[in-house]
Amino acid sequence: MSATPILAGRGITKNFRGLTAIDTVDFELHQGRIYGLIGPNGAGKSTLFNLVTGYYPLSSGEIRFEGKRIDGVPTYRLNQMGIARAFQISKPFPAITVRENVRIGALYGVSGPRDVDAVTEEALALTGLTGIAERMSGGLPVGNLRKLEIARALATRPKVLLADEPCAGLNPTETSDMMECLRSISRRGIVVWLVEHDMRAVVQVCDWIYVLEAGVKIAAGPPQEVIRNPRVIEAYLGTPMTENGEEA
Amino acid sequence: MTMRIFLLLGTLIVIVLLPQFLAPFHIRVVQLFFFTAALALAWNVMGGLAGYWSFGHTVFIGMGAFAAAHFVAKLGLPAGPLQMIAGIVFGALFCGIVAAIIAYPILRLRGIYFAIAMLGIGQVAAELANNVGWFQGDVGLFLETALPDGVEPERFFYYVFAGLFLFTWMVSLVVMRSRFGYGLLAIREDEDTAKMLGVPTEQIKAFGFTISAVLVGMLGATYAYSLGYFTASSVFRIDFSLNMIIYCLIGGIGTLAGPVVGAALMLLLTQIILGQLLELHLLATGLVVILIVLTLPNGVMGLVGGEAFRRRFSMRAGGKAR
Repeated sequence: MSATPILAGRGITKNFRGLTAIDTVDFELHQGRIYGLIGPNGAGKSTLFNLVTGYYPLSSGEIRFEGKRIDGVPTYRLNQMGIARAFQISKPFPAITVRENVRIGALYGVSGPRDVDAVTEEALALTGLTGIAERMSGGLPVGNLRKLEIARALATRPKVLLADEPCAGLNPTETSDMMECLRSISRRGIVVWLVEHDMRAVVQVCDWIYVLEAGVKIAAGPPQEVIRNPRVIEAYLGTPMTENGEEA
Repeated sequence: MTMRIFLLLGTLIVIVLLPQFLAPFHIRVVQLFFFTAALALAWNVMGGLAGYWSFGHTVFIGMGAFAAAHFVAKLGLPAGPLQMIAGIVFGALFCGIVAAIIAYPILRLRGIYFAIAMLGIGQVAAELANNVGWFQGDVGLFLETALPDGVEPERFFYYVFAGLFLFTWMVSLVVMRSRFGYGLLAIREDEDTAKMLGVPTEQIKAFGFTISAVLVGMLGATYAYSLGYFTASSVFRIDFSLNMIIYCLIGGIGTLAGPVVGAALMLLLTQIILGQLLELHLLATGLVVILIVLTLPNGVMGLVGGEAFRRRFSMRAGGKAR
């Protein structure tokens, strides 16, 4: 873990009118891994993602991407540098097709030359959307909307993908499909950082987990360690879990 | 591909030959069609593609006209083709510069707030032109077109507006097929998500607004030439602003053919058919607009057949954006 992290935050703090939503949080993401971010509702998981992607300015602290300071950089520039995000609440572009949605990611996204058609088709294929690429995005069932969020983010050719609850509302089969999809994204050299409530999925797929409670990082480590941490059990899990993430 | 070339050639031949078969009144109606269809297309760049509905686009008609008239007066060029081209180009560029300057503050407003702000800008500009002596908007300005003997003004301006219409059509087509066009589309669909996909939304909006203003300014300056003499109230007209929106709505907003179909349909209705009704004309027009909007939420182009229509006329056509 001595190499420069691809994405790192130090002392990240965010105050909303006196309320401290994120309190001096540190994190480090390294190449080739899948990270998790867990915690109870309102712990600040989405806020942390909003800070990292430049939607909110930091109150204090710093964020570095490949060693360079990126706090204060506008969202679209961050994406052009290689940070993509799939939203918790699916935000498809409803009046256009699935393929066009993904295509916009491929047309923009990381700066530099690209083969728009190839990138679009690859992202569709990887997420299993090729068959419905010509459908309008509005009115898709939730499972496909989640895939579309991932596909569109992927089409921007990121180095880091922040996925905010990609499995919310999915049934167990769809959840394991999504996890498999995230694994194959990771195998392509993209660092995945995942907010998820489905502990089974998180434990099985993540290499390293950060735990937030009320804006404070209360634990960080490999899944097996984190699920045995008494503070995590007390704050979030409620009951101890087995190694597979099943409730014991 | 060859099909398209034939279609284009056919259209060109019809446009060129049409005045031979029409009475002067009808030549004027077709000229008005080219003018208003081009205006609607220009409005559509921001209103239809980016979803930023301007309710005051007439500001660029007026500004183009006034800029052209004052510029050629300062320049002291004799009336003639050179002076006309100089006036139109300056009117267009002037609108583009103004649009680029006001783009940043005004495009921070979204939805209805942007619409109202544009409405306000249109009214303010009209008042300034009317009441500030230097502009001479109350007494009026002249823009002469020195035509050779035997060339009738309605034919001349018919061809001028036909040319500008085709130009605006080409610009719209290029915009829709481009990466920039997809950027506008992403902004219309969800501006915050667009940012997360690397779309530089501020720049793209400002650029789209500027293109739209340049096109309208060009048309406004030309319109002033076709009038010969104009006052503030003949170029700053709220009905121009509203017509641009209505034509797009009726034809199919955000599509390439929609604004043109909308303009053709409404002109046919108002100028030719309902024009016979005299007093009832405005009432009848209003009823027709309400009827179309109620029955065809996607405009006339939506009738052509849902998905198939989109494939052909919406941004998906070709889809080879670079």
